[in-house]
Amino acid sequence: MSMSPSASVELAPKDFKSDLKPIWCPGCGDFGVVQAIYRALAQIGRPPHEIAFVSGIGCSSRIPGYTTAYGFNSVHGRALPIAQGIKMANPDILVLVAGGDGDGFSIGGGHVAHAVRRDLDLTYIVMDNQIYGLTKGQLSPTSPRGLKTVSSTFGSLEAPVNPLQYVLGYGGGFVAQGTPADMAGLAAIIEEAIRYPGFAFVNVQSPCVTFGHPESQLKAQKAMMQSLEAMGHDPTDRLRAMDLARDYGVKLYTGVFYRDPEPPPSYDSQIRARQAELQGKGLPRERILDSFLPR
Amino acid sequence: MSSELIIGMAGSGGDGIVSAGESMINALALEGYHGILTKSFGPQIRGGESSCRLRLSTQPLLHAMGTLDLAVALNWEDFLKFGAELTVGGQTTVIYESKTGVAPDKLPLIGVTPVEAVPVPFTDLAKQAAGTDKAKNSVVLGLISGWLGIAQESLLAGIRKKFTKKGEDVLQGNERAFAVGLEFAHAHPLKASRIMAIPESKSTKFLVDGNDICAAAAIYAGCEFFGGYPITPSSEIMQYLNHEIWKYGGSLLQAEDEIAGIGACVGASFAGKKALTATSGPGMSLKTEMLGLATIAELPLVCVNVQRGGPSTGIPTKSEQSDLYQAAFSAHGDAVRPVLAPISAGDTFGVTVEAFNIAERYQTPVIILSDQEIAQRKETVEPFDAREFKLTERKLPSEAELEHYVRFRYTDTGISPLSHPGMKGGNYLAAGIEHNEHGDPTAGGGTHAKMNDKRIKKLDPLKRRRDLFLIEGDLDAPLALLSWGSMAGVVRDALQSARAEGMRVKLLVPKLLYPVAEEVYRDFFRSVKGGLVVEQSHLGQLYRLIRMFVDVPKGLESLAKSGSNPIAPAEVVTRLREVVQHLQRRLAPEAESQG
Repeated sequence: MSMSPSASVELAPKDFKSDLKPIWCPGCGDFGVVQAIYRALAQIGRPPHEIAFVSGIGCSSRIPGYTTAYGFNSVHGRALPIAQGIKMANPDILVLVAGGDGDGFSIGGGHVAHAVRRDLDLTYIVMDNQIYGLTKGQLSPTSPRGLKTVSSTFGSLEAPVNPLQYVLGYGGGFVAQGTPADMAGLAAIIEEAIRYPGFAFVNVQSPCVTFGHPESQLKAQKAMMQSLEAMGHDPTDRLRAMDLARDYGVKLYTGVFYRDPEPPPSYDSQIRARQAELQGKGLPRERILDSFLPR
Repeated sequence: MSSELIIGMAGSGGDGIVSAGESMINALALEGYHGILTKSFGPQIRGGESSCRLRLSTQPLLHAMGTLDLAVALNWEDFLKFGAELTVGGQTTVIYESKTGVAPDKLPLIGVTPVEAVPVPFTDLAKQAAGTDKAKNSVVLGLISGWLGIAQESLLAGIRKKFTKKGEDVLQGNERAFAVGLEFAHAHPLKASRIMAIPESKSTKFLVDGNDICAAAAIYAGCEFFGGYPITPSSEIMQYLNHEIWKYGGSLLQAEDEIAGIGACVGASFAGKKALTATSGPGMSLKTEMLGLATIAELPLVCVNVQRGGPSTGIPTKSEQSDLYQAAFSAHGDAVRPVLAPISAGDTFGVTVEAFNIAERYQTPVIILSDQEIAQRKETVEPFDAREFKLTERKLPSEAELEHYVRFRYTDTGISPLSHPGMKGGNYLAAGIEHNEHGDPTAGGGTHAKMNDKRIKKLDPLKRRRDLFLIEGDLDAPLALLSWGSMAGVVRDALQSARAEGMRVKLLVPKLLYPVAEEVYRDFFRSVKGGLVVEQSHLGQLYRLIRMFVDVPKGLESLAKSGSNPIAPAEVVTRLREVVQHLQRRLAPEAESQG
């Protein structure tokens, strides 16, 4: 997380809730996610105007509008590039990114690898529901093989993307999973992700109440979720994390899969260092044309 | 004594012919000459044949075109590949590698006998002087310096600067190669003397190319973020900023793709910084969704498209003006995005600063349509002071406005104060989705229409910016020439020739291409019966774009050619004579019936 330019103030979850009424279907998992984000942000204590919350397109991408932060509900799949631009332009800003599994791992999938390797200090929350909800029930990149939807009448022929392995595979320094079925746990995970000084990824199993599978609903999740911490998982063990991540789609582990115990300097901190090193080494702006004198 | 000369040189990739051209123009700029150096490569961008042409003069130049006075062929095969770019005429002195075994009266040039052909043992001279044929280009420099009687000291200084870091042996070898070339020139004086007159003003000139000076203009304008992706012929903009922008508190992202490049710019602009991206046609296609987002979110940013031959990969190394439609109509929905085009490398400075000014003032993406010709050619420019170009900053909300901030508030100008993260009270939701004044999503038709109106009408004042149009010639002339971008120089030259022939003609060059400034064109066309719109595209996109918005004179015709097919000033004048004939034929019966 960025160094806070303003002193932390006492903030409550409600300080992050906007007046805009969510248009999600009653019972949507995303209600729980936004609540968890309010709670996490209250714990962090940065005032809303120092936070930028960027999303793409999809049901879950409506989420920035339901917070009091500076929001950016952008275009499909492109939240990460925009978020990185914000962070590079002003590393003081706390930058959150959110979207659905289609936004992040289908149309925007190409950006994830680069956000991971670039390692700007961002928190990326994916609300993964294995379905396209906003467009009314088509196959998503995380839909299980064989799933029958309006765009896969005879069953999907594709294996799903595994978001956890995807980010771990590219060397992600912080990878966690949560569910709104465990609100307190999810808020704690998001808070920890924000505090991680680099690219932090939180996959949230946030069920679609309208088009989702019965077994993925919150009630079913409550029965199947297993805390990684309670299982005694050591979150500094990347190989074990990769191994556990293989169970994506079969088991529902919650908590931190992997946290780099010694995070390298983030990209944005290196930008600062480079700027400080080179500051004033150029011609004065108004004399920049002198560089075109022949030598 | 010549006041002007054109030298064309070609060889294979390793011959260093382009590097010789660069050394040449650098020395000339130091001595106060004017010059334009264009480089040309085979289709493979890297490797293969290469050539350059240098037009030099004692006076300012408008373009690089013309028949060669001096042709240098290090081998004929490569030279001939450049056909129309290296035109040999009856006045040309041809210098060629004697090793090719071609007799001076058996040159492989069809239908033309040059005034003189001089075989030169380039390879032998280089080996003799430097022990390697790599020094061929230094021999070439010595020869040209000798035959033109110019820049001996500056060229030698250039050689010293270039080769010192390569060790004493290499340096001395090249110095000797230069001297050998010089001696050869003195021992073999040309039949048609090419001795250059001294320049009008001996003051040192700026030596610029469109890409570098575009990047410099961005720094001057206060740009603090660049996001982009390598693509020919625009990469030099990113490369220049990569070593400069940090020095001014900025940062740069070589993104994973064109979309992420402009996406990061949208983010940086949202965060309150001036942002630039640069690309060429194919990249521009990818960026259009983000341009639409910046339009509806009303965020400033500047996007440079250095045009090349299209569609698709097309001809990456050649200039074309075929992306005008794409720029004007990029992205979907009802939207207007300003499009500017510089007319020379030097002009790119002012146009880029103005693009930032317009972007920041009107909170809109602005597209600069440069092209390969002006982006990558080197040209001399009379030194000027950057401070002649004033800067405009975005309108931030006042303390009072932040009390009850309304991001997209309807105002008389359509411009609403723009906050950014970190600004207390300025929190709002930026969105690609249609929104009301507060930024809340809406599907309401009334709001949508009103917001479209706001976003489009705020740009109306641009159409009254007469300073973004160049007008030359007789203001009440019945004949007109119009052109844009890199073709403008050629057409300005044609204007002078046509007027010298006694034609009553004027010229309009829009640097603001979109929105189409109807009034400017209507005023210009008031006296006009006919003329030509001259541009380097197959369709004649400016000709057609203007007619979408303005009733043009019946006699206005299109002179348009695909990229890689140069249009020379003489061709413009010839076509203009035809226009006059067409008009006479058409107007004669009218005059009779009226009489």
